[in-house]
Amino acid sequence: MINRICLILLIFFSSFLIAQLRIEITEGITDPIRIAIVPISWNLQDPPREYLNQIISSDLESFGEFEALSTKEMLSLPKNEKEILYRDWKLLKVDYLVVGSASQGEMPEEVIVNFSIVNVTREKVIQRSISSGSISYLNSLAHVISDRIYKEINGLPGIFSTKISYINKENSTRGKYFLKVADIDGRNDSVLFSSVEPLMSPDWSSDGRSLAYVSFEEGTSRIFIQELYTGKRKALKSEKGINSSPNWSPTDKYLSAVLSKGDNPDIYLYEVKKNTWKQLTDHIGIDTEPDWSPDGRKIIFTSNRSGSPQIYEITVSSRKIRRKTFEGTYNARARYTPDGRSFIFVHRREGLFHIAVQNLRTGKLRILTDTQLDESPTISPNGKVIIYATKKDEKNILAGISIDGKTRFVLPTSSGEVSGPSWSPLLKAFDWSPLQRLINSRRLF
Amino acid sequence: MSLFQEFLVIAAIICSFSGCASVSVDRAVDATIVSVVSETQYSEADAIEEGTIYFDYDKYDLSASAILEIRELANAMKSNLSARVRIEGHCDERGTREYNLALGEKRANAVSELLRVNGVASSKLTTVSYGEEKPVAYGSNEAAWGKNRRAEIKVL
Repeated sequence: MINRICLILLIFFSSFLIAQLRIEITEGITDPIRIAIVPISWNLQDPPREYLNQIISSDLESFGEFEALSTKEMLSLPKNEKEILYRDWKLLKVDYLVVGSASQGEMPEEVIVNFSIVNVTREKVIQRSISSGSISYLNSLAHVISDRIYKEINGLPGIFSTKISYINKENSTRGKYFLKVADIDGRNDSVLFSSVEPLMSPDWSSDGRSLAYVSFEEGTSRIFIQELYTGKRKALKSEKGINSSPNWSPTDKYLSAVLSKGDNPDIYLYEVKKNTWKQLTDHIGIDTEPDWSPDGRKIIFTSNRSGSPQIYEITVSSRKIRRKTFEGTYNARARYTPDGRSFIFVHRREGLFHIAVQNLRTGKLRILTDTQLDESPTISPNGKVIIYATKKDEKNILAGISIDGKTRFVLPTSSGEVSGPSWSPLLKAFDWSPLQRLINSRRLF
Repeated sequence: MSLFQEFLVIAAIICSFSGCASVSVDRAVDATIVSVVSETQYSEADAIEEGTIYFDYDKYDLSASAILEIRELANAMKSNLSARVRIEGHCDERGTREYNLALGEKRANAVSELLRVNGVASSKLTTVSYGEEKPVAYGSNEAAWGKNRRAEIKVL
């Protein structure tokens, strides 16, 4: 128990010591959905000082799709559906309204929020929801409510409860490397691993519980798997030469990765339970940066077998390889979109490196970014947003863009260099969740 | 029946009568993430820098002057039988990190291969690629990039 408290304190303080990423919208879409999140009324003796409605509003505004009214702009503050005066909200040109109340759950830490999502134009409640969470994790509770609102209005899963992992390096020449995980708004960042030698290429397991990454702590590159919520760490069987680019299969049974034990970098498959490697590609050039298709049947990768790096796709069962990119002389680090129909990648045009998206069937390529040294694109599990690494004012930072190219944002950090972002899958409330444990124990009796 | 369950039942009953929107239940995701610290510490660099070979962009073939330099090193190594070297391949920041890691290895291997061809036993040679992770020059310009596209030869 003491250990646990120490750990929580450590994480609590580390978030003050280490600079956080914060989303700043640099360009938004011209006609966002107008939404009003009315302050949640608390039926508690000692209500928290944090304002759930403000966290929800800033979540929804994160990627430019929504414009949330501030409390000051509201003409009335209904506590429930009955108190809604539609005239007020129509006057303010609000499309959707959320009203709700929070009360104490049965467990000491538990908070239950009842809320209604209202379509103002149709004067109709479109969804009534209950979200529960812990009073010590109000951010998490707010993100879950934001996810529900997003889903009901846009029809796609919300991504506010997802996380990103990335590498953060201290600025000095011998600065340390940190593998970090944060909420997508940059809050709750925590250090998973740190080392004086480089860390690279974090990749989330499909179940969201582990990360695979590359560490140079032994002097050469080696792939490690680390469980997020136990800290348990496992080194993969290492081979001579580079061990890099780990990427989990959709079932988490395999990792695809790159080894150069055959004297040149090729794609290999690693079977997690057996700790064994099997070679997938074999070419004298460089084969690297594998990514598993969502259906698990194909792997997309970079190869310079044609003389310049280009994107190829291999069918895992038949080993049949098809070249996918033909425009330009530098196309690399492809990642499938969640629907498996397109891929995002790094494309060089006129000497500048951009993030681009290409349709797998039509081959149509579209450049998304106008920054110059872009790399490591990662896509949100709902396929709407891309976060990538780039350079701004001589500093490595993370930036983002919506897949339609309409919203751009930067995730600045005040300390050190940031690289290698990886977006988590949609996360479920696991049995490790403190709240879930409370609920489970209640069910036991 | 707990208060919460009771509420759910009542809410469900009300809904079924009024034909209103369905009720969904969501739970927050939160967790205690565990931090692990590497025990690796810097050993103060006792390696002597023997030389640096430079490369063109996205290339790993050796220039004529590089070939001469490596041959000289091979001769020196043959006369000093205890000498062992480690060759580190590096890249500039352009392009992707994982591709650059592979490129850095191709550069280190090009040097190592030429040493071997010139009579140095493979047991005396180790290679490692750092890709673009360890630049020696900072800045996004050709001057810095040129210095970073390199293979460093270090005596062990």
